[in-house]
Amino acid sequence: MEDPNTHDNVDSEKISESFLCCVCLELLYKPVVLSCGHISCFWCVHKSMDTLHESHCPICRHPYNHFPTICQMLHLLLLKEYPIAYKRRENQILEEEKEMGIFSPQFNSQAYNHGGNPASLSTMGFESKSPSDSLSTRKGEPYANLELLNSDSQVQDDGVCALIEIRSGNSEVIGNVSLKENTSKQVLVSDVLCLACKQLLFHPVVLNCGHVYCESCIIIPAGEMLKCQVCQTLHPRGFPKVCLELDHYLEENFPKEYVRRRDAVQLKQVVIECSTESCKQGKNLPRLTVPHPNAHFGVGCDSCGIVPIIGDRYRCKDCVEKIGFDLCGDCYNTCSKLPGRFNQQHTTEHKFELIRLQVDAYASEDSENGSPPPALPGDAQENADSGSAANVTSTDGGEDQTGSQSTS
Amino acid sequence: MISGGRGGKSAPSASSWAVSASGKRIQREMAELNLDPPPDCSAGPKGDNLYHWVATILGPQGTPYEGGIYFLDITFPSDYPFKPPKVVFKTRIFHCNVDTAGVLSLDILKDSWSPALTITKVLLAIRAIFTNPDPSDSPLIPGIARLYLADRAKHDELAAEWTRRFAK
Repeated sequence: MEDPNTHDNVDSEKISESFLCCVCLELLYKPVVLSCGHISCFWCVHKSMDTLHESHCPICRHPYNHFPTICQMLHLLLLKEYPIAYKRRENQILEEEKEMGIFSPQFNSQAYNHGGNPASLSTMGFESKSPSDSLSTRKGEPYANLELLNSDSQVQDDGVCALIEIRSGNSEVIGNVSLKENTSKQVLVSDVLCLACKQLLFHPVVLNCGHVYCESCIIIPAGEMLKCQVCQTLHPRGFPKVCLELDHYLEENFPKEYVRRRDAVQLKQVVIECSTESCKQGKNLPRLTVPHPNAHFGVGCDSCGIVPIIGDRYRCKDCVEKIGFDLCGDCYNTCSKLPGRFNQQHTTEHKFELIRLQVDAYASEDSENGSPPPALPGDAQENADSGSAANVTSTDGGEDQTGSQSTS
Repeated sequence: MISGGRGGKSAPSASSWAVSASGKRIQREMAELNLDPPPDCSAGPKGDNLYHWVATILGPQGTPYEGGIYFLDITFPSDYPFKPPKVVFKTRIFHCNVDTAGVLSLDILKDSWSPALTITKVLLAIRAIFTNPDPSDSPLIPGIARLYLADRAKHDELAAEWTRRFAK
């Protein structure tokens, strides 16, 4: 697929090295910040993750178990900073997603009122909250109700959110809605505030949920896990490292404010309460050198992002998307059942089934285990869990998409 | 979510998505290499196929490989950069980390591969083992490794001889 847009004809926008993805070597798109502070694109992280063991950062090889949520603040920052290149990337990725049939989360920038409205933030602004009446029409078409939402946000004069024309099937950005008058074209300090102190981020750290704080604003209560103050999501693996690329950007673009913030933080001499005990706490899994016997290979949790799920796995029976919707035991028991990480139209009415990896149960339903891995495109092909997927299908009557794929 | 990525059962039948994404990345690398080639190295597609490259490395000065021109074949997998490229020496070389078929043992081309690595970095790593062969960790040619450790002068003499015979 030769796309003239992919070549570096982004003449008008000089993209900083800091914002080139280390994997695809292009402008970061839907950036994900790992706990080591390194940034990569949503799909680049997804594709780099190890489905059997813990994963490692492509740059520093720092181990991690959880696929972090997209950092929306960075997403909007890049959209403002490089509107042409970023939209080009958006179109390019959307084309690829359509071919794959798997979609990344869609954002409605209106819903993301950074630091302003905790209520809307708690939903993470994913446009996956589908109106219930569209459920009947959404089969296998994750964008079916995105269309509704798009037209909706057009009415709201949604300035920065790139709207995608789906109906034409041509995925063109609607020209006249990009960067309307009342939204600033420049990145302002108000776009890069800490969610806790509401000041310019200084030494920013990005949590697993994608929310950004100053390093000095993060406090882990002794004996507890780090929890996001906005969405209350727990952050696994102790204290996150500073996202240096973002920090450099802030220092360069807001030199005065940055110096002021640095002085203030140094004056406060904030001692970060990170007792070794609390760092060790939490969902940290033992380092897996051999595959864990209870690991659901190639299956991740759509809530906390852990890959692979260890122990109990709850699979949604009603999500029709190819990528499926799964929760780990902890998230099934504690979290609200929010939309998936791949734009799955998951709702609270959906039913789950528990999938346990019990050797004997597995063996007794072995009839389908000999079938080839599901013929999902790209990444899903390596799904080593095809056996259990096939088992599930047999009970479901093979009517949903995953089923027909895996038995083909 | 059904996750993709590395380490799963590999069933690499390339989807068009994977091909286009890997193709873009390879094109980027090509542009970068043309712009800023690493010292004594060059690389580019062999013909029309973006996934088959040929590279050359000049034997570094001060080594017995000095003056030699080494040709390498590079094959990119369809899921590049999530899987490492295959690199094979086409020029014969007397080196404990390169076997008679030209296969080289380099950790970053195997388990230590990272999608953040590029052909430029791979070529630099190969250039580094010209200067510093690694005889310790299960070398491909144990005989050469033993000679390297026991009689460096003899090793270098033979390596220089091979350079004259095969790499010029």
